Amino acid sequence: MSSLQDTVNPQDASSYDSAAGVHRREAVVYPAARGEPKLWSLGGTLAFGVLMITGFLILVLWNGIATFWPKPIAVVTLADGKIVAGEQTREELFKPTADQLAKLTPQLRAVIAKDDGYATRRLYRTGNFDFYGDDSKWVADYDVAKVDYPRDMVLAERREWGPFVGRLKAVVLDGVERPVTDPSEGWVRDALGQAQARLAQIRKLERDEIGGINHKLEQERLALRRVLLKSGADSAAYGEAQAKFAAREAELKKQYEALSAEAQALKGRNERDRIILTEVGGAEKSLPLSVIVRAYDANDIGLGAKLAVYGSRWAEFLTDEPREANTEGGVMPAIFGTFAMTVLLSLIVAPFGVLTALYLREYAKQGRIVAFVRISVNNLAGVPSIVYGVFGLGFFAYILGGSIDRLFFPEYLPNPTFGTGGLLWAALTLAIMTVPVVIVATEEALAAVPRSMREGSLACGASKWQTIRMIVLPRAMPGIMTGLILAMARGAGEVAPLMLVGVVKLAPELPIDGYFPFVHLERSFMHLGFHIFDVGFQSRNSEAGKPMVFVTTLLLIALIAIMNATAITIRNRLKKKFAGSQF
Amino acid sequence: MSAVSVMEKPATPAQEQPFGETVYHLQKGDQGIALDIKDFNLWYGDRQALHGVNLTVERGLVTALIGPSGCGKSTLLRSLNRMNDLVDGLSITGKVVLDQVDIYDPRTDVIALRKRMGMVFQKPNPFPMSIYENVIYPLRVDGVRDKRLLDETVERALKGSALWDEVKDRLDQSALGMSGGQQQRLCIARAIVGDPEVLLMDEPCSALDPIATAKVEELIDELGGHYTIVIVTHNMQQAARVSHNTAFMYLGRLIEYGKTETMFTTPKLGRTLDYVTGRFG
Repeated sequence: MSSLQDTVNPQDASSYDSAAGVHRREAVVYPAARGEPKLWSLGGTLAFGVLMITGFLILVLWNGIATFWPKPIAVVTLADGKIVAGEQTREELFKPTADQLAKLTPQLRAVIAKDDGYATRRLYRTGNFDFYGDDSKWVADYDVAKVDYPRDMVLAERREWGPFVGRLKAVVLDGVERPVTDPSEGWVRDALGQAQARLAQIRKLERDEIGGINHKLEQERLALRRVLLKSGADSAAYGEAQAKFAAREAELKKQYEALSAEAQALKGRNERDRIILTEVGGAEKSLPLSVIVRAYDANDIGLGAKLAVYGSRWAEFLTDEPREANTEGGVMPAIFGTFAMTVLLSLIVAPFGVLTALYLREYAKQGRIVAFVRISVNNLAGVPSIVYGVFGLGFFAYILGGSIDRLFFPEYLPNPTFGTGGLLWAALTLAIMTVPVVIVATEEALAAVPRSMREGSLACGASKWQTIRMIVLPRAMPGIMTGLILAMARGAGEVAPLMLVGVVKLAPELPIDGYFPFVHLERSFMHLGFHIFDVGFQSRNSEAGKPMVFVTTLLLIALIAIMNATAITIRNRLKKKFAGSQF
Repeated sequence: MSAVSVMEKPATPAQEQPFGETVYHLQKGDQGIALDIKDFNLWYGDRQALHGVNLTVERGLVTALIGPSGCGKSTLLRSLNRMNDLVDGLSITGKVVLDQVDIYDPRTDVIALRKRMGMVFQKPNPFPMSIYENVIYPLRVDGVRDKRLLDETVERALKGSALWDEVKDRLDQSALGMSGGQQQRLCIARAIVGDPEVLLMDEPCSALDPIATAKVEELIDELGGHYTIVIVTHNMQQAARVSHNTAFMYLGRLIEYGKTETMFTTPKLGRTLDYVTGRFG
């Protein structure tokens, strides 16, 4: 505080010189008038917020990035002679129960008692779900006799039953068994590569070619049904169509059988290449080589090989489809679904919100009705999102979609086409949910366009619409973009309403594919947000899904960040265009 | 409190006089009358801003509107191309006649009217686009697409507003990057690009520095030969320098309207003399 304060009695501070009729101000500054203490609390709240967000991001980032890193496999020999092998995933303090304590030696009990009754336990990801009926196991430290990291331990990721942890015994190539312990040996890798290539070929045959035939067959069946619905069962046209359908069906069946035989041959070939693995308990398992996604000797590989495994896991995660109830494999359909929905949502919400705001701000007579509309719009932003989900399901899917089905797709019934949840309805539902943000932001942006610019344009003989189109809208565009960015971010991160209007656990068909009309807005889709919920809370064991939750969260945050960054870049470019000396 | 009484004591007798008849001694142009304002009253809601203004703007001459703040000179100017239409609760009586047509007639097309008049505002208001696009904005509004015509028009308008040499190499750059004076001359170019019959200027130099002001004044002088100009200004010297006729307004009334030379040297009314000599205002 200044030295002035010390010399002036604060009671004189508001003295009033009645003779002169003038309020004389004193050079006293009360503490309350100073901003600095408040500044501390303002800065404090900011720091608190930043700390929480940073903490959250670090948690997600650390867990997400570490998930795919190959960890060493511990072989733990317990005091009772049992052996547990697996990657250590966690350790924690716990309080052994009285029963557990009763089985221990007095020395161990004393150690635990000294630690206030706490002991350490570790969670090992043991894999081998087909043997153990579980894929992770808690091991208390006091039970452990010995921990080893044998160099021949192998972790094999399988397409079914999760990972296998154990030793490699042999690889059988076309019926000839060759003993081997190191999965990174060249010929083993080659054999694995060939088996996977055959599997990919089988998939291509089954999905693309046989799928194509099925699609054609379905189209023929629908065409027949259209004729039936149009002309009736007794008509000549229907008889003709039936004959045509039978011929076509026979032809397609023949094609199908040829392809099916080809696939079967490849499958037979894949059955003959096998891999024989032994679990730490000694049990043996013979699997087709094609079931193995990747296998590595976890305790014997160098940094380069670890990086390769890490990279290939990320590549699989980003480009492949999920397997094992979504807890393994990739999330490509979910990435695609999230992206497609967000783009569609933005395409719907932008014109809808901007036009509404334009009318409200520029054309509507400002009065009670407009004020009421504005309040209603703002209230929409506060409605719980699940309510929008219910509305979307009831109005869009059932009423609107049901009518579309009856009018345009009667031949599909009773299977719904648009009459159920789908990409379009999900995007529309979220558009309604986020439109208040765009309306409010656009109104603010329009209001911020200087009156002088409108007047300048009108004085040039421009009509009101020309002024809006050529001057007001371009100038308000950065503000409108801000609203869109907020709406997009909110829409991309929303899950609850989507569960009702089109997001599913597993959607094998993407909304965009090679079959006419190429973009299938009626299809249900996968979504990263729902994927997190599904993997984390709906899968058969949450421990297996946990790493995926973090990686998927990381991905969702990254996806939203990328989309926002793109939008912000566009906005800043616009802003720059309109910036300058504006006095 | 004492400060107020100080202001009251030396109140000029001229100000206490009731408002008499407007005194006219204007210089007639040789091309007739461009605008004829007849018994014009204007209200913002309940507040009357203009009281029975009668004024003729001579074609081809520069007419200056002067008067203290709030006297209604800007309101009068903005009434001439109906920019006041944007204001809520506005009502008027009387006529403003342009070519025998009352611009406040319900049948008058406001957009067509504004195309016949250019307007320059107090603050430069270039649009957020390139210099080129700014100048041809009125033509864009009319849907002109002929590139050659547009190019020629830009050059003519920018030469007309003495800006061509400064900006001819950066026509595609944003107009917002220009200096204030350049921006105002750009706005003048934009106002004259459609060859308007009347050019309205609302304190065009109030936001400019003296050098930019000198340039704009020079420009007004040059344009004065071709266009009918109505200019509102606070700067008495400016009015004296650029205009042929000067109208002095006070409290919403037209007090005296006459030849500029006379207005600034030997006005007919004491109130005008007090204002132009700076005794109040």
